[in-house]
Amino acid sequence: MMKLIGAVLIIVATTWAGFEASRHLTERPRQLRQLKSALQSLEAEIMYGHTPLHEAARRLSDQLSKPLSWFFESFAKKLTDSETTVKDAWEESLKEIWKMTALKQGEFEIMKQFGETLGRHDRLSQQKQIMLTLTHLEREEADAHDRQVKYERMVKSLGFLSGLLLIILLL
Amino acid sequence: MGLEVDIIFKIAGVGIVVAFLHTILDQVGKKEYAQWVTLFGFIYILFMVASIVDNLFQKIKSVFLFQG
Repeated sequence: MMKLIGAVLIIVATTWAGFEASRHLTERPRQLRQLKSALQSLEAEIMYGHTPLHEAARRLSDQLSKPLSWFFESFAKKLTDSETTVKDAWEESLKEIWKMTALKQGEFEIMKQFGETLGRHDRLSQQKQIMLTLTHLEREEADAHDRQVKYERMVKSLGFLSGLLLIILLL
Repeated sequence: MGLEVDIIFKIAGVGIVVAFLHTILDQVGKKEYAQWVTLFGFIYILFMVASIVDNLFQKIKSVFLFQG
């Protein structure tokens, strides 16, 4: 009886781990798409709305859904509340939020580099920077999509099967 | 006799699971991992069978050569 309970626990744990990993894989392209649309909205706010940066960030945080909205929220908060440069505020918010997203190091570097250019040029070069960042993110998204298609099913069945194997070995 | 049947089922189970793992890893193009998994499964079963055969030899010895 104890053996049976242990076996069920092992199977549940490894299967859960597999599903968690596959969820991570599906989250990444979705969040990258959101990030892209966020940058596009930011561009629109800057180019056509002439909105100040903290105002634009606050609006973005209202528009977006969970993990990314936190990023823009904390960015806006840092800009209004504390005496800091845009670059520092951007980077700090990125670091705070990064653990909660499914995104990887590549996107982090891209966003960090974008933050360094933010608010330092006129509108036209700012638009060009946003375009550049968008192309980089596009590339990352294609990569993320490839990985999702390739590994999603594998990770799920791998979790279940490794649990099964472990049970047989321990029996 | 119960023990022997148990071990046969265990070997069969490991074989099936390892075969599945091999197929899945092969499908996504991780050939090297697939081969490692198969190899380790094989080695594990080999050790198990070796210990059983060892048991058998000890029994034969004790029957025919009158040794403990």
